[in-house]
Amino acid sequence: MNFQEVARRGETGMLMEANDFLMQRVAANVMKLQKKYDIKWDGTTLVNLDDDLADRCWEAGKELLLASGVYSMNSRRVIGFNEEELDFALRFAPSRVTMGQGKDVVTIHHRGLEDPRRPFIFGGPFNADTHEDMFVKLNEAFAQERIIDALFFPGYLKELDGQMIRPTSGLSSRAAILYGQWSREAVRRAGRPGMPITGHAVMALNEIACTNEAWGLRSTDPRAMVLISELQVNDVTMTRLAYYQAYGCPIYMAFTPLVGGYGGGPDGTAIIAVASFIASILMGADITHLGPQHLKYKQQTNQHSLFMGSLANQAVARNSHIIATTSHTTAGRPGSAQYAHEFSALALTVVASGSNISGPRPAEPLGFNNVSPLMARLLAEVAHAAAGMTRKQAAPIVEQLHEKYKDKILLKDAPRGQPFEELYDVKTLTPTPEHQALYDKVKEELIALGLPLT
Amino acid sequence: MADTEQILAKMKASIEAYDSDAAVAAAKEAATAGMDLLVAVEKGFAEPIRALGEAFARMEIFLPQLILAANAMEAGMAVMEEAITAIGGELETKGVVVIGTVEGDIHDIGKTVVAAMLQSNGYQVHDLGVEVPASRFIESAKSLNADVIAMSALLSTTMLYQRDVIELLNNKGLADKYFTIVGGAPVKQAWADEIGADGYASGACEAVKLLDQHREVWAK
Repeated sequence: MNFQEVARRGETGMLMEANDFLMQRVAANVMKLQKKYDIKWDGTTLVNLDDDLADRCWEAGKELLLASGVYSMNSRRVIGFNEEELDFALRFAPSRVTMGQGKDVVTIHHRGLEDPRRPFIFGGPFNADTHEDMFVKLNEAFAQERIIDALFFPGYLKELDGQMIRPTSGLSSRAAILYGQWSREAVRRAGRPGMPITGHAVMALNEIACTNEAWGLRSTDPRAMVLISELQVNDVTMTRLAYYQAYGCPIYMAFTPLVGGYGGGPDGTAIIAVASFIASILMGADITHLGPQHLKYKQQTNQHSLFMGSLANQAVARNSHIIATTSHTTAGRPGSAQYAHEFSALALTVVASGSNISGPRPAEPLGFNNVSPLMARLLAEVAHAAAGMTRKQAAPIVEQLHEKYKDKILLKDAPRGQPFEELYDVKTLTPTPEHQALYDKVKEELIALGLPLT
Repeated sequence: MADTEQILAKMKASIEAYDSDAAVAAAKEAATAGMDLLVAVEKGFAEPIRALGEAFARMEIFLPQLILAANAMEAGMAVMEEAITAIGGELETKGVVVIGTVEGDIHDIGKTVVAAMLQSNGYQVHDLGVEVPASRFIESAKSLNADVIAMSALLSTTMLYQRDVIELLNNKGLADKYFTIVGGAPVKQAWADEIGADGYASGACEAVKLLDQHREVWAK
């Protein structure tokens, strides 16, 4: 389905209130489909091992999308799809996408269940609040990690020139321009001038201002936009989509199903996640990003989110050739072992379930620059080691890791961690001895748990 | 005529079944049964909705159930309020809250959860929706004679508009009239302090606790 048709339906579809869409079209149908397809979490499983459950979840997700459609928040109309359109879009969804330029070209592909191929790694500050003085250095430190395939969300400029940035202001356009310039400068400094930069400057439509072939984000860079929970779009997303599609950028579409929200528990939320994967493809996505939120824990490594992520990814891996990636958001913060335990548990879960990797970041960064490129390296190493592992091999390691942190996943109880400038020598862009020692220690732990890290 | 216990059981069951029609029917029975209507409100509606609020906090039930239960209670309470007013009584609520997501921010769910939890804990809640401009928060608070203005922001950049609501209240000389609370993913206590908000809540349960604990400060 092309953009014009999606946009047209956004202006002509059924008019309804947002709350009615969420309660009647989403929540009510999820409850019905959970019963129809017998989709139920047993209360303990972290990594789904039941292929039939994954297939039923796929069917339920398809049926949900056909029943609900996607809600256009500004026009208050439902963008509906029929079965033929859905099947057609899935048949012609991209299974591989190439991005970047010159020697830095990389390709992401659909991964199957327990796929032996290495997952693609989107690594970077992941939209953590980033101070302008540290923006280039911090991103250079990520880009110099060769295991990272694409720089991911190069920081969030909350302030500029000592001033907080209002989303639609001229200052936010200036911030977007600098975001483009500084991100390009960072990958250039790291010797990877064509490295793809996954852009999401966030600042409303002004983020388009970071696009420039010479100094900013290029047509070969994936550009991110968000389906709003649950199954909703707004004019900002549609405008970005229109522009970036026409400009030729790979479309990186994220969605954030809310565990405990309109889908209920992890089982019902998995149905919404599958519907969101498919909706993204119908809307024109090349790469789809699952970034579940959790109403209580606000991070993604709790037992509900682990199971949900495993089930939804498996449904997609087994039944389509959609390119999927999963974000990694933790309670523990960089500079703590818990940070690594959490993202390792999630990476093992989703890589064995057919996903690529985006992240990591703390769910609640404390202050600016609360990220670590060294930990992004470790996440990538864990993800590579997980490639080819069966779910049965991954599951016990996930359980042992979950045991380590499960009592400290409320954000207030999680380790506070340290900012980049305390974890790194910012002149040499090397980890401090203490941070390196933490990395070494956690890696030894992971090897002892049975992870084939080298 | 059904006895008091039977009517209370029906009221309670209507909330637990998230059934607005049943809540209205049970409330009508209560209104004509000659029973103490304030007790009926407390035992029949308030107690079960509080229990559901607690179950939601433990994630034993989820957002749709909480919203449906709050809707059922709202429908039943409309009948009870009319009946209580007709006999010269007055329905007590803990306080009146206007709540919304600030200008430029379309995130709805966090604010909806807080609204449902406040409602389930005895507050009269007016949900202004998303992308609410500063002036609308204030005009709504005035017209509804609110006690509390609750502002949600889910983006680092839209937090600024929480500041604008408080600044505008100050500029209009209305700062002492309303208890202002802020929340949302990027919001912290330090931000609340910086902009002069009266309180900060990290989640829905915390918002209920915050208002309950500071009732002496904001109750008119």
